[in-house]
Amino acid sequence: MRRIESQIDTNAPDFKANHAAMSERLKEFHARQHATRFERPQRDIDRLARQNKLGVRERLKLLLDPGTPFLEFSTLAACREYDGAVPGAAVVTGIGIVQGREVAIHANDASVKGGAWYPHTVKKIVRLLDVALENRLPVIHICDSAGGFLPLQHGVFPDRYLGGRVFRNQVKLSQANIPQIAVVGGHCTAGGAYVPTLSDYNIIIEGTGAIFLGGPPLVKAATGEEVGVQELGGAVMHTSVSGTGDYRAATEQHAFSLAREIVSQWKRTPKTIIETATFEEPYYDPKELYGIIPKDRKTQFDMREVLARIVDGSRFHEYQPDYGTTMICGFAHIWGYKVGILANNGVLFNDSSLKAAHFMQLCNQNRTPLVFFQNITGYMVGREYEERGIAKDGAKMLMAQGGSVVPKFTVIANASYGAGNYGMCGRAWDARTLFMWPQAEIGVMGADQAANTMADVKIRQLQREGKELTEEEIAAIRDPVLEKFRQDVEAYTSTSELWDDGILDPADTRNALGMSISASLNAPIDDPHYGIFRL
Amino acid sequence: MTISKLLVANRGEIAARVLRTARVKGIKTAVLRHSSEQEGPAHLIADEVVTIEGSTPVAAYLDIAQIVEAAQRIGADAVHPGYGFLSENAAFVAALEKAGITFVGPTSEVIDLMGDKIRARAFVEERGFPVAPSAIEDDDPATFVERSRTVGYPLLIKPSAGGGGKGMRVVREDGALEAEIDTARREGERYFGDGRLFVERYIERPRHIEVQVMGDGQGNVVHFWERECSIQRRFQKIIEETPSPALTAEQRDEICETAAGIARAVNYRGAGTVEFIYAQDGSFYFLEMNTRLQVEHPVTEMVTGFDLVAEQLRIAAGEGLSAAQADIAQNGHSIELRICAEDATQDFRPAIGDILLLDEPRGEGVRVDSGILDGGKVTTDFDPMLSKLIVHGRNRAEAIARAREAVQNYVILGVTTNTGYLDAILAHPDFASGDVSTGFLAEQADTLTAPGEDVSDLLMAAAALSDERLVSDVMQIPEMHRKMGGWRN
Amino acid sequence: MRRIYQIDGEETECWLSHDGRSMILNTPDGAIPCQLDAAEAPGGYTLRVRGRTYDMRVAVGPDATFVHLNGQTFAIGRVDPAERLAGNDGGAVDDRIVAPMPGVVVSVNAKAGDQVKEGQPLLVIESMKLETSLTAPRDGVIAEIPFAAGDSFGLKATLAQLAPEEE
Repeated sequence: MRRIESQIDTNAPDFKANHAAMSERLKEFHARQHATRFERPQRDIDRLARQNKLGVRERLKLLLDPGTPFLEFSTLAACREYDGAVPGAAVVTGIGIVQGREVAIHANDASVKGGAWYPHTVKKIVRLLDVALENRLPVIHICDSAGGFLPLQHGVFPDRYLGGRVFRNQVKLSQANIPQIAVVGGHCTAGGAYVPTLSDYNIIIEGTGAIFLGGPPLVKAATGEEVGVQELGGAVMHTSVSGTGDYRAATEQHAFSLAREIVSQWKRTPKTIIETATFEEPYYDPKELYGIIPKDRKTQFDMREVLARIVDGSRFHEYQPDYGTTMICGFAHIWGYKVGILANNGVLFNDSSLKAAHFMQLCNQNRTPLVFFQNITGYMVGREYEERGIAKDGAKMLMAQGGSVVPKFTVIANASYGAGNYGMCGRAWDARTLFMWPQAEIGVMGADQAANTMADVKIRQLQREGKELTEEEIAAIRDPVLEKFRQDVEAYTSTSELWDDGILDPADTRNALGMSISASLNAPIDDPHYGIFRL
Repeated sequence: MTISKLLVANRGEIAARVLRTARVKGIKTAVLRHSSEQEGPAHLIADEVVTIEGSTPVAAYLDIAQIVEAAQRIGADAVHPGYGFLSENAAFVAALEKAGITFVGPTSEVIDLMGDKIRARAFVEERGFPVAPSAIEDDDPATFVERSRTVGYPLLIKPSAGGGGKGMRVVREDGALEAEIDTARREGERYFGDGRLFVERYIERPRHIEVQVMGDGQGNVVHFWERECSIQRRFQKIIEETPSPALTAEQRDEICETAAGIARAVNYRGAGTVEFIYAQDGSFYFLEMNTRLQVEHPVTEMVTGFDLVAEQLRIAAGEGLSAAQADIAQNGHSIELRICAEDATQDFRPAIGDILLLDEPRGEGVRVDSGILDGGKVTTDFDPMLSKLIVHGRNRAEAIARAREAVQNYVILGVTTNTGYLDAILAHPDFASGDVSTGFLAEQADTLTAPGEDVSDLLMAAAALSDERLVSDVMQIPEMHRKMGGWRN
Repeated sequence: MRRIYQIDGEETECWLSHDGRSMILNTPDGAIPCQLDAAEAPGGYTLRVRGRTYDMRVAVGPDATFVHLNGQTFAIGRVDPAERLAGNDGGAVDDRIVAPMPGVVVSVNAKAGDQVKEGQPLLVIESMKLETSLTAPRDGVIAEIPFAAGDSFGLKATLAQLAPEEE
């Protein structure tokens, strides 16, 4: 594999301007993440202290192996919902290391609304459990939730991918012999009671942890019985009388120490073997990505410069370098793992689509995981391209992509518009993880394009009614639409809605991919098989 | 008579020490071992190991009947008592005599006389040797307090039956005298079952100087010069050396001749030590006579070149002394350090533990009389002294330098020892200049146990990197995750 | 995992990590890359820290690690924080002894006001043709033993109650 020869001049004014713009964005991004993780109203902090509970971040610290990474998912979930009052959707999820093993973690954040389940909370938990299922990762649940948020119960409870899906996924995990531990560090009421009871192991912290289908107030209302929390579902009762609980922990420290001990009992299943090489840091500094990503989204840039700052040794073996050049395909290593990379260098044409479809089949045949770097405005339109069969070539690419059996990973590096999102393994296409860069956008089309299209419809309708519009009147129609679209396509909207697994600082992409690929190898890779390619 | 088989009725380093000489002399050897006791060097040297029983290990070593019976059973014709235990027990000597077994040491009469501090002192005083002004309760209990007052202050109250510093009290003013006498009496009763007391003048900043003597029991007595043992903690010697830096040649002759004179007066047989209290003005007073081989005898051997145990065995075999006084000279300087299992930072609390690693210093002028083996166990069953480090140099400065080097290289891991404390003493400028008294360790207690340079991060690194669970826990983390460290996105 | 090391009575929580090149000792004060290689002497090691090397002897005992360094010997107490918590297994001790099944009291060996030690038999019961001795769950004072020999009792009956522990 040859090293990519970077053409970037880090002293060029463009580079500096881009760098400044991205640094500014990242400053805001990091500040928002920090606030979401750590900043809480004093009364919530006081309440936890009063309840003798540790915060969720301290709990993670007790659980995880010290000095190991934690890949957190969707930190900014729900950031554009509920007036921003439910940071992180009141739950922390991610992949971490416990006793040297990769585990998926689902931890309620009781400092936010008592850990109540909002619609986005459920979405985030279900996604985490999907990650666990797809990658066969053991799950550690840290339960501390006030239960479903009743005013929004329709967004929490009834549908296929809502509350019930959490428990359904737990059952599926168990069925697949994937172990789960629940540490009950707060109340698990009603449905929440099934998180620990569907786990293979559970630990209840004495004094703070409790499990019951109906809490004391509900019991009083339903049967008139007056009973305290501890008698009804406390650690002593469940570990000595009902057998609902396995271990009774005297303290939080004790509980997480027990959880770690349990993890260390599990057998280690050999991981799927793929081609690997010795680690090598990228030859080019990943922080240079800040100056490479244009501050204006419409400015074209060479995705090879991005790859050079993410892959091992900046080395890349390019496939069909001179054919279908708007689609870069090739092999590289990320944290030693051999991957096949598909990266957009422009609009998808017939040749670039065919090249991508062929390359993905090569990777499947060779059990090489796929990594997509999206900067795509769509498949080429126009008579000539339709005549050449752009739709059926695009379909071939989708068939190859959607039919891939190797793990797939997606980074939305810049634009992700229209069907290009599909071809490049958008959210609907089961990427094991999907991350966005903070300036990236996602939508059926770009905001300007969409706003113009919408405004034109309106303007033409008015014109048909015989109204002549001044420039100002046209702007008055178009500008609010544009503003709304600009917001809707932003990465913050995507991440708020859990259309991705989180926004990444571009410099963190290498580690996020490394952790994702490593996690994916806990699941076997099937033999390749596809549907019908329209030839 | 000749000794054909010697039983060493002792343990630890002194048993090993005695056995070595006996073996060199071609004598068959045996040593005791309590049934619960760890194997020590002595058990490896002796031809035979005799197991003894007792309610406690110490009780077994004090069990006269059992030991005499053991000596008879194995056909030993002589018993060397070492120091401590039964070494100054007249009843033991009498029992051996009765059994027809030679006791390597003085007669039971001499042991009896010198074992009673009051009688010993009276004996020495009567024969014109210097003793500190004193009052003995037994002389006339009714006037004891009055007579004590005439001794003058400061004075020291001691139990007549005592030893090892127990029950001793210093009184500096008349007002406290009677109360202190009462306390000392109670302590005497508690420790020794004997509340009789005596008082003597307390010498300020005294030095402890003692003289090694050896007699053949036929009237011939020589001395092997002095030892200075002023480095004491609560009357327990820690560091001993010879020659004493305090003495001029004249004073040395005087004090040594005095000691030899006292030994001659009792027609002394065997090895003994006459202890003196030495005042800053050069005056000295008889303190007591120990009728056995001392812990610190090796420093004498190092400067005189004589094997004192060999001399003891000669005398016991009736072969007499191997040398006349004129043949015994001091060459160079020797220092002994007592290596003890104790924690100097925790008020010298005895330490216990398994000896995980033992690497004793070696080299020119370095001698280790050790009672421990690598892999052994240190318990509280016995005295905390594990071994003795003895060095010899051409002069005192060289001896100190060698002692420091050796004690720093004395590796005993697994049980806390006083090696660091000993080194701190050797490094003290007052020790280097020889300006010490028996109060030195108490006066300098804080300096000597002050923590050194903070190396805790090095220690933690060593502890962590040698901690197999910690290392294997790190190594079981997949390499990539290890390398990412505490990364967070 | 983490360790608590005790040096001169000071406790520090530490853990190791490894950055692919060298081990790193992590303490609350920071991270120190370090390396320990065996040397020739018995128990001898060379420690490399901050560009300097230190010759030392190291012996690992059951509860402490002993280090001989610069002529000094040090004992570093070693505590597994999890083991420190192990005493908590089963959570806080209950003050009550509750009948594990219905049965008859065979004998009562303590009475209200008695000072008892953990594990001390308080009463013997017979149930399902088996005699079982019930013992004190902790040191304490008996508040009540409401049954006498020959009395029968039901499931979950409180057979003995300890006085609450004073804080």
